[in-house]
Formats: sequence, structure tokens, C-alpha cells
Amino acid sequence: MRTIHYKIKRFDGKREWYQDYQLQYEKGKTILWALTAIREQLDPTLVFTSACRHAICGSCAIKVNGKSFLACKTSLDEVLETFKSDNLVFEPLSNFEVIKDLAIAWEPKMEKMKQVKPWIIPSNKGNAERGFIQSEDDFHEISSPTDCILCGVCTSECNQLAVNDGAYLDPFILNRAYRFSVDSRDCAPEEHIRPVYENELWKCIHCMQCISSCPKGIPLTDEIAYLRQESIKIGEVNNQGAKHAFAFYDDIRNKGRLNETMLPIKTDGLIKTATTKIPFALRMIKKGKINPFHMPKAIEGIKGVKEIYKYAEEVKHP
Amino acid sequence: MRYAFFPGCTLESAAEELMISTMKVAEALGIELIELKGWTCCGASHIQDVDDFLATSINARNIALGEKLGVSKIITVCNTCTLMLRTAKAKLDQNKNLRAMVNEGLRSTGMQYKGNVEVTHLLWALIEDYGLDRLKEKVKRPLTGLKVANFYGCHILMPPKIMGFENHMNPQSMEMIAEVLGAESVKFDQRLACCGFHAVFPAEKEVMKLTGMNCLSPKASGADCLITPCPLCQMQLDAYQPDAQKGFSKDITMPVLHLPQLIGLALGFSPQELAIQRHVVDAIPVLTENVLV
Repeated sequence: MRTIHYKIKRFDGKREWYQDYQLQYEKGKTILWALTAIREQLDPTLVFTSACRHAICGSCAIKVNGKSFLACKTSLDEVLETFKSDNLVFEPLSNFEVIKDLAIAWEPKMEKMKQVKPWIIPSNKGNAERGFIQSEDDFHEISSPTDCILCGVCTSECNQLAVNDGAYLDPFILNRAYRFSVDSRDCAPEEHIRPVYENELWKCIHCMQCISSCPKGIPLTDEIAYLRQESIKIGEVNNQGAKHAFAFYDDIRNKGRLNETMLPIKTDGLIKTATTKIPFALRMIKKGKINPFHMPKAIEGIKGVKEIYKYAEEVKHP
Repeated sequence: MRYAFFPGCTLESAAEELMISTMKVAEALGIELIELKGWTCCGASHIQDVDDFLATSINARNIALGEKLGVSKIITVCNTCTLMLRTAKAKLDQNKNLRAMVNEGLRSTGMQYKGNVEVTHLLWALIEDYGLDRLKEKVKRPLTGLKVANFYGCHILMPPKIMGFENHMNPQSMEMIAEVLGAESVKFDQRLACCGFHAVFPAEKEVMKLTGMNCLSPKASGADCLITPCPLCQMQLDAYQPDAQKGFSKDITMPVLHLPQLIGLALGFSPQELAIQRHVVDAIPVLTENVLV
């Protein structure tokens, strides 16, 4: 008989510890089945949240061997296969306050979410009484972001939140801002986008964890790119993030390749670079890690690249 | 074996040592790398924040350069270049309208994206195309006793729909290569962590914290050095290490090698031939102690 060993992180409000449980292996079960079986058969004091069992309510996400999953949607066999082990460690999601055992606090996150005005600011084309007419295309704009069930998996996997002081917005909050800013019934996208910009939008590291772990397959990183584009459109160009992105954009148009020596200056300006990046540059130069005099020459076919840029401009502004 | 080679910008400047070691290793293994003529920067996971259509277009052009060479694969040695090229390819292959629009933009260059080459990374190509047995036969100096910490970097694994070479939650390709070379892979918490490189300007404080954690974790596991398949992870973890140290009271010193440098050592090249002396954190003492005797 195959036994699966579970180590579950417990927390009673003061004390933290790991507790061991064992269950016989059964084929075709889910993580939530294991949690429920442990609570019903082995330990009624184990606290976790769950409700719908159909990936709709979003309440049962936990971490298994360091990765975050929606427990009801995730097959136990798949997890055992992924980690090639019969030892599983269950922990509460990261980047949340823990209430008890695997139960996490959502209220602080909901307070944080209010900043992006996660509601429709109605245009004069309709109202709550009369409703709105939306085209099929309009609907498709919001159909994927409205799939979010607030399970918290993206937050738990976010590398920026893991080291951030707290201002940076959770990926699901960015998704809400996106969802309302592209809704055809909303008349004030800037009211959703400005708070996103003001809360460290450019600190996203592009680590791709959110898009890779979302149980609903929401293209979160594409949404973040859109929010950044929109922040540029509302005039927020004088910041490190936008200037850094434009350094790549401009270098490719001008020569085809990045000028790494000029990149810090384009991002931070000459004065800040001179005062903060000199030791970094000197140690690179000293070791021969970088040649500061390497100035990329225009690539073969740069004329064609400029034509591609011209065409992309026309596509953007027909 | 022939590949169209997409070096990426760092190999020309801040990671020239990766160009040197890649070329040495490819030659020793009998892998022909034909550099694409007129390649552009991939956009480095930044350009789509200005214009995502343009990001797809310039990489359609890069891929089209490879298609003209009549090879089946474009190869890179940078995680982010691989991700950018593969992202463009996935979009162009899945969306006919987008492909038609992008090709309209390419028309003036006389090029066209056809979709008949794959985009791979050296790490994958060694396993998938070259073969670990064949690699093992080429080992002249087994790296016995060297404890390596394999640091994958995000963009060679995720998003799995675009990358998908192996399970992104528990990849094994780096460990497989290390084993063939005779090195011992250590287990460490930050094996699949993010280096933070892409936000080092707007999130300097946070990224330095990540760098320190990424060095301390392998150190605690007894690793002699960290190995990465990405020059951007390498630059973040090596060149910024003295800056990251300021935020930590414990010594975080951890040498960081490029994957081709590790392979090159096992193939018998000296650290100098692989330009290992160019790293900010000196890796040569630990290599001398363990494998160069």
C-alpha cells in the first residue's frame, strides 16, 4: 500500500509548527480531497477554507512544496508527478497575512484593491436602470479578466510582492484595474490606471510567475504591459521604468541594438548615474566584464527596421 | 549540427565572456553556429511595454533572418532572448490576422515570416539534439567534487505555454547536464527564484534583496558556485553582488558562472580560455581548489 506523507504548516495565532499526517494513496483525487480527508479522518482542528469544489469560489488555494495551487482544481497525481515525491508540504499562500493554519486574510487586500476603483464608472451611453448595449467584441475585451476568482495564487507567486514594502499592487488588483479600464461601459479609464501607475507599476520584474500559475489562464503579464502603455499615454513618461523601456525602443530604431553603456544614463539621467552607478561601472570595467567603448554600429538592414517602426506607428494610429 | 545563432546584445558588450565560452564549447562539440546577419535586440522584455505589436514585428524579422538560412532552429544562450523570440513566434503561429499584419510591415524589408524554424536555447539543444551520452563522451576533465547550484532563471521556464521544454515547477535539465559533467548539484531554496534583473532600475532596493537571498541560499547549501543559463541572471547575481552585500550582515560571496563556462571546464579548457577571470566575483580560487588540480 502506497502512503502519502503530508507535512502541514500550522499556526494558532501565536505559535507556528509543522504537523505530519499520512493518508493511503488513492488514484484520481485532488489536493482538496487530501485536506478534507485529513480534517475528517485525522484532525478536526485543521483549519483551511473551501466551498464550491469547482474552481469558482476561489477560496481553497494553498502552497504545495513551495508552489501555489487552487486545491480543488489540482490533481494530487499531477502534484506527485511534478515533485517526484510522496512527501508533500502544505503551507498557506505567501504574501498574505495568515489567520490560522492555511486560512489567509483577504480584508487588507480588498482595502488595497479599492484604490483602483474596481467598479464601472458609467458612461452616458447607459446607466444601472436602463443598462448598456455591448457588442460581442466589447464583451470579449473583458471576458478573460472577468474570469478572475480572487484565489490569490498570483499574489502568492509574485516575486515583487515577496520583497516589496506593501505599496505594489497584487497581480489580481492589476487585473481588476485592467478589466474596468477596457470595459466599453466605463468612461474614465484613467481613474483606474493612474492609481496603478502611482503604486509602483514599473516594479513588476517580468518574472512570469502570475501568468504561469493563474488557474484561470488570465494573461496577466500582457495586461501589465497594457497598463504600462496606458500610463505612458496619460503622460507618465518621466520615470525610470518608462525611460528604461524607451531606451530599448529607441536604440533598436536607431542602430538595431542596445547600447549598454548608455542604458543607465538614459534611464537615470547623467547626474544620478554619475553619483550612484560609478562603483558598479568601474568594477565591470576593471575585470573586463564590459567594454565601455563598445558603441554598437548600425546593423545590416537598419533601414528596414526603421520602416517596421513606421508601419507599427501607422497600426497604432491609423 | 547547424544552428542559426542569435547572440543578443549582452554577448557583444557586458557578457562578452559568454560569447567567448559559447564559441569555444560549440567548436569543441562540433556544433556549427551561424550568426544571423543583421539581427536586432529582442526588446529584452521591455519593448512590449511601449508597443507590443512592434515587439512581435522586430522579432518576426529576427526569426525571418533565420528562416532564410535554411536551418531548422535558431539557437540562443539567453533566457530572455529565447522568451522574446518564442513569444513572437507563438503569437504569429496562432493568429493569422496578426501574422498578415506583421508581414505587411516586413514587406518593405523584402522579408516574410513563414513560421518554419523553431527557437531553442543551448541548454535544451544539448539535451534534445546533441544528446547527453554524446556530451559525456566529450568530457576530458570531469568536474568531480565541484558542488554547483543550478539557477535556472524565470524566462527559460515560463510561461510554460510558450517555453514548455520541461515542467516549470520542477525542471531537471540543468541537473542532467551537471551530472554528465561530473559535478554535484546541490539542493537550495532559491533554485527557481527570480534574479530581479529586469526591474533593477525602478526597484533597486527590492532587487538587491533578491540578489542577496539568491547568493545566501546556495551558500547555505554548500555550493561552490552558482551556474546560470542566462547572461542577465549572471550579470545581476555577479556584477551587483557587492551592492547587494551592503544590505546583508552575513557574507554573501558566491561566484556565478555561465552554463557554457561550466561545460567548457569539463571539456578541458582553462578558466582564461573561457574568460572566467572577467567575472566580478572571482570564481577561479574555488575552481582551482576543486577541479583544476
